[in-house]
Amino acid sequence: MKPLPDIDPRNRADFEAAAKRPLPLRMKYAFIKTYKPVMDDARFRSFDTMADYRKWCEENLPSWLGYGRV
Amino acid sequence: MAAFEYRQAAEIRDMFARHDCRYLFIGKSGAILLGYPDTTQDADIFVQKSIENGLRLVSALRELGFSLTDADADEIRRGKDFVQLKSGPFDLDLIFAPDGIESFDQAWLRRSEVDGFPVCAIDDIIASKHAANRVKDRESLPRLEDFRRYLQSQIRP
Repeated sequence: MKPLPDIDPRNRADFEAAAKRPLPLRMKYAFIKTYKPVMDDARFRSFDTMADYRKWCEENLPSWLGYGRV
Repeated sequence: MAAFEYRQAAEIRDMFARHDCRYLFIGKSGAILLGYPDTTQDADIFVQKSIENGLRLVSALRELGFSLTDADADEIRRGKDFVQLKSGPFDLDLIFAPDGIESFDQAWLRRSEVDGFPVCAIDDIIASKHAANRVKDRESLPRLEDFRRYLQSQIRP
């Protein structure tokens, strides 16, 4: 199969290696759990609109979590 | 709480199928199901917004072990755009109207099935991240777009 030229070779190597792993193993490697301040401190949250959710994230979460809009 | 794992994804798949819930895996968790190697914390589910689907969804979530008050359940049934659940065996985000995707029905037509998991097309996952335009999305998009090119290269003759 002819690889496309505009894929970063490191990424392509990662994708090809992942393709050889069974899905349960891919998921074991992919899902991690670390405490996210504020975000993880409520058992339930809901927002009428995505805009409300984005605004709440920007106003309440530490910026280093990366939920702020560019 | 431990990290999300295949067994729990399979529980969602099987329970949602039993309750006839219409949903798609979306976000980075969806991309991971498609084969994308990266890390994430939570599973994101794009849920069809309808009264009937909301009722089925609440029943399925409760049977999975999520502790939902009547008020919580009502908000899920109403299909608020975004619901974050941290009251069950794993964390789960329910998204009823993801940025950048015009409708559930259109996304459903474009979906992939992986091990019986219904997953948004990589184009939709990328479109939603472009539209959300958060710092963390901007950081992950170049690699996700490489992954899309990789998937396309796999189906080329």
